[in-house]
Amino acid sequence: MAYVATRGGARAIDQAERLYRAELGQIDASRVDAVRRALPMLIDRVMGEASLYEPDLAALALAQAGGDLYEAVLLLRAWRTTQPRLAIAEPVRQEQLITHRRISAAFKDIPGGQILGPTLDYAHRLLATDVLQGRPFTPAPVTPAATAAPAYQPSLAAWQKAQGLVADPLRADVAPDAIPDLTREPLLFPAKRAHTLQSLARADTGGMLTLGYAAMRGYGNAHPTVNELRLAEAEVRVTHPRGTVFSAGRVKVSQAEVTSKGKSGQLSLGFCATLGWNEVKVISGATLDLNAAAAPKGSPVEEEFFLYHTEPVEASGFCIHFKLPHYVTFQSSLDALRGAKASAAPQSEQVPS
Amino acid sequence: MSIASLTKAWQPMSYGFLDASAKRELRRKMLKAIAVPGCQMPYASREVPMARGWGTGGLQVTLTLLKPSSVVKVIDQGADDSVNAASIRSFLSKVSGAAETWDTLAASLIQSRHRIPEERLHAGQILVLQVPNPEPLRPVEPNMSVARQMHADADYGRLWLILYEQIVRSGRIMEGAAYPSVVNGRHVMTPSPIPRWDVPKLHMAQHLTFLSAGREKRLYAVPPFTKVEPLVFSDVPFKVEDHGALTCHRSGVSGFYMNEIPQDNGGSAFELSDSHLGIKAIRKAEGEADRIGATWYRNGQLA
Repeated sequence: MAYVATRGGARAIDQAERLYRAELGQIDASRVDAVRRALPMLIDRVMGEASLYEPDLAALALAQAGGDLYEAVLLLRAWRTTQPRLAIAEPVRQEQLITHRRISAAFKDIPGGQILGPTLDYAHRLLATDVLQGRPFTPAPVTPAATAAPAYQPSLAAWQKAQGLVADPLRADVAPDAIPDLTREPLLFPAKRAHTLQSLARADTGGMLTLGYAAMRGYGNAHPTVNELRLAEAEVRVTHPRGTVFSAGRVKVSQAEVTSKGKSGQLSLGFCATLGWNEVKVISGATLDLNAAAAPKGSPVEEEFFLYHTEPVEASGFCIHFKLPHYVTFQSSLDALRGAKASAAPQSEQVPS
Repeated sequence: MSIASLTKAWQPMSYGFLDASAKRELRRKMLKAIAVPGCQMPYASREVPMARGWGTGGLQVTLTLLKPSSVVKVIDQGADDSVNAASIRSFLSKVSGAAETWDTLAASLIQSRHRIPEERLHAGQILVLQVPNPEPLRPVEPNMSVARQMHADADYGRLWLILYEQIVRSGRIMEGAAYPSVVNGRHVMTPSPIPRWDVPKLHMAQHLTFLSAGREKRLYAVPPFTKVEPLVFSDVPFKVEDHGALTCHRSGVSGFYMNEIPQDNGGSAFELSDSHLGIKAIRKAEGEADRIGATWYRNGQLA
């Protein structure tokens, strides 16, 4: 019936929400736990877009939203924004990452070695239909390597800098609490570097892939070569009020660095990192970052274009807002159309046949 | 003295949902917006428990202004009982303890999407308009950083050009709602997608209006007694919608902005867009003591 209920809107929305939630049924701790354990990649994706590292809350948000990713991210963002910020962690350096996977497409081998780590890259994508016939899929056990890969890996860009292949801009040391924070300040352009990287880290995976892929196909100038892709864990090191620096725990992070031949006769780099393991997102994001430098205004690889349009909460919210009634504005347009038609009518009679 | 005596008890949610740091930023930006009428102030725009595009900008301003003694009215398309207005109003009262009302005269704070009530707002009332797109220059310059520079230079020539082209093509200005208007003789703003009918209500008004776009992270204001002039040519006057002669089929009231309801017989029926004005008129006709305030329009003409 009328969704712009002339009367009774409050009751209508209440019942509509009940109808949706009835479909999802009861949500309890065991459901949340099952979601968290069964879908780690999805949890990672949601935590990255929410910029909130808390697997239990991410699983709860997914359960509560029935798996609607945008709803889950909004739930987490709305929760996150009200939380006090107790401390600001120290910056994480590449060589301090506990690295599970680290590959480079730029060289056959690199200092520290190519570490494949966990990946489906070379798996045959066959659906395990046996599972539905009652035969569970049990993964084959992993045979540990004779020598374990080192937990810490050097940065490839550091080697390239030493070779003079990559520019090594002067680094300004910024105190952690002086780093601009996108969640507390508006994003303005030209964007602060910190805002750009934070915005990429929170971006919508699908949206970033779309624009990144457009750049890869040729709507960007630079063809990316994956300089270094890492899946790792980072220590969250914070300073205790007494002054001791300690690790408050570890978070999974992914980062990609892509490169191409720059105009200055050196290699240019594009970078993207996010919370959780999400390779598609960081490779796409790094490709956009790589292309942003010389991008014309309004092109899909221009920073303002891709950062505004890959914001998952803003983009999805605006998309679904078109479901709201717009009849007042529509009426105003109708008035202009009819007015123009009425004033055009006598003129059309004068047109010679 | 103990720590407990110096601190407040832990609460799962701050008063009015937003935490103190978010409200402080908003207050600062709102004061700036009043100081430079019509100029868009960027703000962080926190996520709120509603989807972007559903009034989150208006909501943040309203949440910052709310106090327990507030009386709040929320309308969408002029209707208090439209689904999203009902949702926002119940959220506002839940997190603030403010009283809810449908009556324009009784409200201290009115959050609205796409309409300004027909009854005159008075000094002391605050109107908060939800804004989907705060940038009047968007049709000529989608890039926000370039548009910001254009505002700084008062470079509005291309907006006049659009209007001129419309007159050449269609014989009249074809802008519908969200008619670009100069505020205080300096900044062009979009008054949010209110119909042209409502734009004159902002000019030299007694009340304060905030316009806030949560998704686009911009807010601006029209302070009381500030000039708001629609962009027009000296020989082509501003025209509001041709609704002055329409009559509401429910209340019998005429001379206000109407919703058109297509009928099975091919014609249209009209009803008051300001739904509570209609309710008041019906109640009054039935002999109830309901007070209808002074209206901006009288007999279909701006008073």
